Amino acid sequence: MNFDLGPDQRDAAAGARDFYRGQASPAAARAALEGGPVQPGYEALADVGFLGIPVPEAAGGGGGSLLDLAVVAEQGGAVLAGPSLVPAARAAVLLADVPDLAAQLADGSARFAVLDGPVTGSSPSIDAAGATLFLGLDDGALVVGEGEATPGRPLDATRGLASVRLTSRRVLAEDAGQLWARARQVAAVVLAAEDLGAADAAVQMAVGYAQQREAFGRRIGSYQAVKHMLVDAWVGVDQLRSLVWWAAWAADAAPDELPLAASAARAHAAEVLERAAETCIQVHGGIGFTWEHDAHLYWRRAKVDRLLLGDAAEHLDAVARLAVAGALG
Amino acid sequence: MDFDDTPDEAAFRARVRKTLEERADELLHVGAGEEAVDARTSEAELRRTQRVLAEAGLVGIPWPREYGGQGGTLVQQAIVQQELARARVPALINHIGLGMCGPTVIAHGSDDQRSRYLARLLRADDVWCQLFSEPASGSDLAALRTTAVRDGDDWVVNGQKVWTTLAHVADHGILLTRTDPEKPKHAGLTMFVVDLHAPGVTVRPLRQMVGSAGFNEVFFDDVRISDSERLGEPGEGWRVALTTLMNERVAIGGAGSDLGVPVETLVAHARQRLPQLDPERQVLARQAVGRAVVASLATRYTGYRRFTVLSQGGLPGPEASAGKLAGTAAAKLVADAGVRLLGDDAVYAATADGDDTWQRTQGYLPGLAIAGGTDQVLRNILGERVLGLPPEPRSDKTAPFAGGRR
Repeated sequence: MNFDLGPDQRDAAAGARDFYRGQASPAAARAALEGGPVQPGYEALADVGFLGIPVPEAAGGGGGSLLDLAVVAEQGGAVLAGPSLVPAARAAVLLADVPDLAAQLADGSARFAVLDGPVTGSSPSIDAAGATLFLGLDDGALVVGEGEATPGRPLDATRGLASVRLTSRRVLAEDAGQLWARARQVAAVVLAAEDLGAADAAVQMAVGYAQQREAFGRRIGSYQAVKHMLVDAWVGVDQLRSLVWWAAWAADAAPDELPLAASAARAHAAEVLERAAETCIQVHGGIGFTWEHDAHLYWRRAKVDRLLLGDAAEHLDAVARLAVAGALG
Repeated sequence: MDFDDTPDEAAFRARVRKTLEERADELLHVGAGEEAVDARTSEAELRRTQRVLAEAGLVGIPWPREYGGQGGTLVQQAIVQQELARARVPALINHIGLGMCGPTVIAHGSDDQRSRYLARLLRADDVWCQLFSEPASGSDLAALRTTAVRDGDDWVVNGQKVWTTLAHVADHGILLTRTDPEKPKHAGLTMFVVDLHAPGVTVRPLRQMVGSAGFNEVFFDDVRISDSERLGEPGEGWRVALTTLMNERVAIGGAGSDLGVPVETLVAHARQRLPQLDPERQVLARQAVGRAVVASLATRYTGYRRFTVLSQGGLPGPEASAGKLAGTAAAKLVADAGVRLLGDDAVYAATADGDDTWQRTQGYLPGLAIAGGTDQVLRNILGERVLGLPPEPRSDKTAPFAGGRR
């Protein structure tokens, strides 16, 4: 058994960490709430090759595995980067047989968003606000088109959420239900990976504060009430990492396991990030719920992400149904 | 990344499996529908089973060869455990001795003790137990009150131990005592090997909340132990005990196995019971089942990550405590979902046909959150050793034990 990242993935994660830390930050996420640009932005992500990781080499991408993408996505999540790698991962699956569009995804010449819900008026979809081309499921067919995006007032401005009405559409594949489902599972894994990075960062921030801050004559991390809260949040993060790796590995190595693994990772991610972000605020006390502090930016990410691509209840139901149907073997 | 054996591991597994098949007639097996074998009723068969496995080279895998072990790895040990479970051979009767007492004798015993005890322990000629916990010292083990007083070449022991697994069948135990009450609590302890058949030793079964009696109380009334049975120097007992407890962590590292009932059992139960519930109840029951499955798989795959560290030659670190903490929480979710799926039968101690799998598991879980490290102690370990948070200030570490803060 070797349930660990390989040296190449460790290097990729370290490189992604440096890139994202240089290009994005919670401060940028705060500025985005006041109208600033989302960082690092499409161009930088295309230039560094992250948008193309899941695109085959033949179409100009990196030809990476989902695990390769997940370890990078985790680093983006840690600094609340935008745009997300979720639409890229999802679009790469949907465009597997459409190399010209896949090439535009990889080089950033088209900015893809994938629409949840009806293409005549979609649910809020990730990075739809800045997208130039939209993929949707229309009466069982995979369609691509241009559209009109209507964003709401952002709770987390780094997510680029908007509802979209397609203004043009071209069918890429009839009877695309299965492809669509697999793309959504892959998207769920990448979203869980971004949430893993965000949750880990929130817990680390809170631990760092609890090691320094003193109250009643000693550091607050020595109080079991604080310590145990942090441990519970950390255990959740540690376990989420296992589920994200397993689900990402399964996508390429054990496709039969992907549906259950993706839903397990997604359900766990929603709850782990929420707990991590809320713990982070609580441990910081008064400073933790100010605009200037970074804690609320992770909290915003948590409150939004928990409802994207299906909430925990939907995915727990899927896990139970799949398990009862025999998915655990 | 993969979940397969390496070629070496696969060859070792094949050899173990073949041995278990060849010698199946000589081994005790757990019956269909049973989870374990009661040492009270099957002691002789359990001892024989371990002897057969020892002869086949499957006992004491990670022990050094010079003490009768196999000089193997922790991964090989885990493979043997997996194969024993697969063949439905019950846990070795001397699992406490193999995992904890033996390694302590190896580390701190005299050559004479090693030669007298270790080979017999491996063959289950002698069964061992660990006499640590007391009524007034559980998590705070160093607060123990059982005394050993020097008398010529002997020590005289008085006191009471509790939660002693296997004491009712054991021949020997490692016994942690207080030999100097004037020293601070950790500094006044001494470890011995004690003969459980010695005059003055009384073993009584301890009945647990669900009615079964897997543990014992052990009373010591003027029990004489020769000084040659001391493990380590007088006053060094805490250091010796830490060896035992470190090995407990290694022994518990059963990679990826579920505490409580395996989640696959819950899923099979749900498959049968879900259709019998009202549609609205099914929705709620699926939430509970889904939550239990996710928690179990998260714990299982995290165990695989720890196991990978072992297989690359690493040692279990303090983060192993997270496995027990999260595994206990997952086991509670599994048991709760299992009980709820029973419908009206959930309020009884067994179903109408006498099956009490889920009710029994439910009743076993409060104890699981306490035994082998309470949830709270595990959180302290994780908080302090993994997250680097400061410990609570303590008033009990420096004052003399006698009359001081305990």
